[in-house]
Amino acid sequence: MTAPLLPPELLRRLEQFQLLSARRAKSSARGERRSRARGQSVEFADHRNYTPGDDFRYLDWNLFGRLEKLFLKLYEEERELPVRIFLDASESMAFGEPRKFDFARQIAAAIGYVALCGFDRVGVITFPQIAEDTAVLGALRAVRGRKSALNYFKNITALHCGGSADLNESLRRGALEARQAGVAVVISDFLDPAGYEPGLAALVARGFQVNALQILAPEELSPSAYGDLRLIDAESGNVQEVTFGKYRQAAYQQMVQNFCQRLREYSQARGISFFMAASNTSLEQLLLRQLRQAEVWG
Amino acid sequence: MNFLSPWAFAFAATIPLVVVFYLLKRRRVVKLVSSTLLWQKFLAESQASAPFQKLRRNWLLLLQILMLILAVLALSRPYFAAKSPNSDLRVLILDASASMRSTDEKPSRFEKARKEALTWVDSLRDGDQMVVLQVSGNTEVKQSATGEKSALRRAILSCQAADAPTRPAPAFKMAESLIRDRSKESNPEIHFFSDGAFADLAGFDNSSLPVIYHKVGVSSENLGITALDVKANPENASQRAIYASVSSFSTNTLQTDLELRLDGTLLETRPVTMKPGEISRQIFLATQTNDGIFSVHSTLEDELAADNDSSIVSLLPHPEKVLLVTRGNRFLERAIRSVPNVQLAIADSLNDEAPEFDFVVLDDVIPTVWPKGNILAFRVANTNWFEKITEIESPAIVDWRATHPLMHYVGFDTVQVAKSLQVKTPSWGVSLVESPQATLMAAGELGHQRIVWVGFDTLESTWPYRVSYPIFLANVADWLNPASERNNQLLVHAGDPFRFRSPPGVTNGTITLPDGKKRELTVDPKAGEVVFGDTLKQGVYHLSIGSNEIPFCVNLLDSSESNIKPHEELQFGKFVKVEATTLHRTNFELWRHIAAAGLGVLMLEWWYYHKRTA
Repeated sequence: MTAPLLPPELLRRLEQFQLLSARRAKSSARGERRSRARGQSVEFADHRNYTPGDDFRYLDWNLFGRLEKLFLKLYEEERELPVRIFLDASESMAFGEPRKFDFARQIAAAIGYVALCGFDRVGVITFPQIAEDTAVLGALRAVRGRKSALNYFKNITALHCGGSADLNESLRRGALEARQAGVAVVISDFLDPAGYEPGLAALVARGFQVNALQILAPEELSPSAYGDLRLIDAESGNVQEVTFGKYRQAAYQQMVQNFCQRLREYSQARGISFFMAASNTSLEQLLLRQLRQAEVWG
Repeated sequence: MNFLSPWAFAFAATIPLVVVFYLLKRRRVVKLVSSTLLWQKFLAESQASAPFQKLRRNWLLLLQILMLILAVLALSRPYFAAKSPNSDLRVLILDASASMRSTDEKPSRFEKARKEALTWVDSLRDGDQMVVLQVSGNTEVKQSATGEKSALRRAILSCQAADAPTRPAPAFKMAESLIRDRSKESNPEIHFFSDGAFADLAGFDNSSLPVIYHKVGVSSENLGITALDVKANPENASQRAIYASVSSFSTNTLQTDLELRLDGTLLETRPVTMKPGEISRQIFLATQTNDGIFSVHSTLEDELAADNDSSIVSLLPHPEKVLLVTRGNRFLERAIRSVPNVQLAIADSLNDEAPEFDFVVLDDVIPTVWPKGNILAFRVANTNWFEKITEIESPAIVDWRATHPLMHYVGFDTVQVAKSLQVKTPSWGVSLVESPQATLMAAGELGHQRIVWVGFDTLESTWPYRVSYPIFLANVADWLNPASERNNQLLVHAGDPFRFRSPPGVTNGTITLPDGKKRELTVDPKAGEVVFGDTLKQGVYHLSIGSNEIPFCVNLLDSSESNIKPHEELQFGKFVKVEATTLHRTNFELWRHIAAAGLGVLMLEWWYYHKRTA
């Protein structure tokens, strides 16, 4: 029996959180999120003139007493918040100790669980989409309700990684396919030669509140292989020859910092919440402290 | 700057090879990574930030090319030509005498001379030749003419300083013969590495030798024993008197203790204070019951240790047996009897070899059988002594050899001779007294026999009335005494051969050196004499031959050698002087420095390679 994605204790603590969204829910389905739609709830929104056929139960009799005109009381409709998790399942995520993909799945599971507990609709989209995961992805397309959490975890666990991904294309398609914008969580290493800017921009343009989580392996942050190396890209098969030694370690780490800093600045400029974590980061630390401080949830 | 081996630049053709090797793919470790994106960015950033990015990429290549250039440069042997002209033949004469062991130069003068000589070997060009001679008590050819540097270095390194005085004349004669046939264009040179501590070189007046004198040494802080002798005490025959002459060659007043030992037992310690240049003659008196060895040691630790110790074998005197063959000569008889410790026998003829006598005096009597021992002959001569004997009336005595031991305190100022035989000085001896025409007295050693020949009858002269007559006979008694001759044989100057008359029938012997090593000797029975030449170390040697155990002492006892003040010039004969040169070597070669730089570059390359891949 495989180990659970998230420990029960962590799940209990996650239940206390709710995904924060600055935008109002635009979903048509009812939920627990405030929306611009008027409907049934306890939150008073406005008055309007009575028109024949309106439900008498919503007439404001107090106002009628003062003004002798019939007004109807309008309440805010609480809708669900669609949460779309874009999970990088390319070959590059299979590296690291622990694997970046395993760490990313745990984060996806945690975010999804928080969303499900908040009666939000969760959809998980992997890129690339592996053929053997088709059925699982179908089940993960729209998950709702806390009772679906178990299946959600099971399906997340069943996901595989492999192949070459096109981050920009995947995000752009995900943005277009979404019927309602909501919260988008992009979990990736962002090591795409084509960059990440068009994809993230597409999500923002579609109206998503985007959270970008960059997962890097410890070996990527601080390589331990020295000497004359012939490096082969696991995704593209590209070959890069490099001579590396301890004395260049600092320069390499500075370069990684620069790379992450550019992604951070790009994200901040577009209202995207960004944070980076190594795959060996403590999950509790990340979920309970860092994501909370980043106001992904609260 | 010139190059001794310019052909080595051909090796520069290997530089492109390094580039080719560098261009060949290096074996790299293949590693699968998640993405090469970060590495591409890293390389792009690091190269962009490097000030000489193109050079940096090929840093190892540049180091390797630099190292190769240095190696080629070292092989081409660049040098700076110095003042001395080139020479096709150099004769190196290395002074290995006792004075070169002085420690005013560290570690010694000899080592400094050797080091300097080695630099001259290094400066040898292709085609040049060099000869290495070592000179101390004798001259030794360490290496004949060759251009092979390794052989020359070996030869120089094999030279050893001895306790012997310098006798450079044979070495210069040998060097002269070596360069005689060389043309002027070849510009042969004789390089003499020495401190000049030896007597002047006679016999080189007319030979303009191309000598370059490399002076070694700086100071002269030395006090040495320059003479040692042992005699019976004239005032008390039961005692032995040891005469030691101590000389100071220092510019300061020195104090030392002279220790006298008999067979290793300390008998007396005498403090001596010596002013600069002073010679102190010390006489020790000691009682001796058996034959033994007296040693004198100066305790002062000066710059030359070789002359701080001297030893001498002291044999107890025995009565000297003398046979006087005469038809009657009271003067002669009384004079011989006046010599101490002499037992005189008188005969009017001699019919055998008189083996029981230490020497025989023939007073104008031709013996039937010539004696085998030493002879003092008056107006009589064996046929093989002289080529031609003539007679002269009233010869005038014009000169006598006062330095000969026989002539000590003997003068002929007022001696007249009525008639005398006269001879041409024989090859086996020296003339003692001369008239304008010929020799009247001669002395020497023929075979193993010492002969003193006087050409006139003393009764036909005024000599017996002079004080010099008994003194002469006392000197003769001493000189012809086999015991004193033996004493002299047992005191050997370092570098001189030790000679000893071997007992009949003995064919081999053993000599034990002062350091305990033993040398086997083969004795030629026909020669009847043991000759041992390896006396370069001072100390007490022991000869074992037959049933005899004979000790003999080798000492420096040379004031020229003890005077270690380095001479600024060498005197060749009366007129020729050679000043010390300041030249150090003809060429200052750079290849060692370049090779060292190349090694440094190699290490830098090694460090850099491992730094970037570690």
